Amino acid sequence: MVELTHGFKIDGDKCRGRMRCLRSCPTRAIRVVDGKASLNPDLCIDCGSCLQLCPSGAISATTITFAELDKFKFKVAVASPALFTQFGPNDTPAQVAQALLELGFDAVWEYAVDIALIERAITDRVKSWPGPFPLISSSCPVVVRLIQVSYPSMVEQLIPIDAPREIAGRELKRKYSQELGLKPDEIAAIYIAPCQAKTISILQPAEGVDSHLDGSVGISQIYNDILSKLRKGSIKVESLKGFLGSGELFHWGVPEGEFPNLSQEHYLPLTGLTDIIKVFDDIEKGKFGNIEFLECHACQGGCTGGNLTVANLYAARATNLHLIAKIPKSDPVFEKEVERRYAMEDFSLRRPIRPRIIKEEGLELRDRVTRRKRADEFLKALPLLDCGLCGAPTCRSHAEDVSANRAELRDCVFLDRERIESLRIIYRK
Amino acid sequence: MANELLREAYEIQGGNFDKAGEISSEIKVILKDLGISASNVRRSVIVSFEAEMNVVMYAERGTLTLILTDEDVCLEVVDQGPGIPDIELALKPGYSTASDEMRLMGFGFGMGLPNMKKNSDEFLIESQVGKGTSVFARIRLNSNG
Repeated sequence: MVELTHGFKIDGDKCRGRMRCLRSCPTRAIRVVDGKASLNPDLCIDCGSCLQLCPSGAISATTITFAELDKFKFKVAVASPALFTQFGPNDTPAQVAQALLELGFDAVWEYAVDIALIERAITDRVKSWPGPFPLISSSCPVVVRLIQVSYPSMVEQLIPIDAPREIAGRELKRKYSQELGLKPDEIAAIYIAPCQAKTISILQPAEGVDSHLDGSVGISQIYNDILSKLRKGSIKVESLKGFLGSGELFHWGVPEGEFPNLSQEHYLPLTGLTDIIKVFDDIEKGKFGNIEFLECHACQGGCTGGNLTVANLYAARATNLHLIAKIPKSDPVFEKEVERRYAMEDFSLRRPIRPRIIKEEGLELRDRVTRRKRADEFLKALPLLDCGLCGAPTCRSHAEDVSANRAELRDCVFLDRERIESLRIIYRK
Repeated sequence: MANELLREAYEIQGGNFDKAGEISSEIKVILKDLGISASNVRRSVIVSFEAEMNVVMYAERGTLTLILTDEDVCLEVVDQGPGIPDIELALKPGYSTASDEMRLMGFGFGMGLPNMKKNSDEFLIESQVGKGTSVFARIRLNSNG
């Protein structure tokens, strides 16, 4: 089995065992043993809930450093639309793009085209889909991984269309290698990411292929540099001819507006993992079949609320609306480019997405039943307070850990007084 | 005869739309936990959910029993309710005796029994008007349906 890499790391030296991560993890992948958090990579879906909550700053996102970019001859930024919502309402996307160039990128990709292409590809695929319904958007890596881990029977409902960032990476390498006479691997396609989940989707795409992108830089990582360029006033508006001709860019990544060509009653936009999980539970029971397309973003408020963004979600949303209003909606050059590329390119996922194989399988059904019955017995001895002091997020998970020989029943403080004493020593200031 | 590994019985209360679906959710967790394949979990959950809904919609009370063996998942539902006068008709897709109120709540589109039948490998239904209905559904673990 391929070792899973994840979008974030837990720094054991910084971790003070405060258990916020343990309690926030939607797939119960975290345990805190002897005051230190650890992660079961098989269950982690890269949602980043833990990253935001860690009071010790022990959890950090995997991104690349600017130094790593130096090995490339030509560096192209593919900026998530969320980036442009992070500054003031009078900082135009073109100015932000110019700041990226001044920071060392050789080009900023006109990403709105790829977004429009995927909107069209999705609309067409939904219309020709024989079922099962609803189809589920596959652009949010957390949603894809949640389905792979917790809703394996629903993988075939993930729309088999690639994410726009991947399509952008493929096309920019083709274009610049041709124009500049470079090999594709001499060109860096760098995504400016609103979350660490997209970083992991570049390092290790869910469908098991190589990404067309070479890495990502988090928005928070370059926020200060861009802001200082913007505030110094060194950016000249006249030099920004023709960049970002369409408002389409700002529709992507915020809910309601991703796929305007589907009728409202068959299209449902969802944001936030809690709500998504509720709807997925119902889909598993056979509900929601009347919906054709579910657009799902794991972060509350969509990518604008991603955990590597800086601005307050609601401020960013206001900026977003302000920017959309300012940019002309129709642009013949932009539309012609979308037409041209739509006819030329294939947007299908290169491989189907499959359920993630969780280790420890291979036990006979009979043994698994026995193990479950033992866990039910152990649970009777536990207080059902889900305090987390044993190291597992719930009493139920502790009972399961004990039954699978991953923990001792008496790790529960209610069953062993000495346990409290040892915790007192670990957590003593 | 296959070995019975697990048997769990659940009470369903008629008319309780608030709690409807909770038993199916629990069955889903159990089967998934036990490593039953995704497609078989899905089929079992659709059958149990529809069965649960039928009891909630029409009967006073009922019992849903999950029986797991080496070879299959069986779901047995016995209710005390009005019974079904014409089973053949009730199995027709789209046939429903649901009230307008139930339909407004999003239930009663006449797909319950047909869906249960479609998702099981063996499906038996018996009913006595004025007494109740019992349903038995078997989902074979080695089938790929």
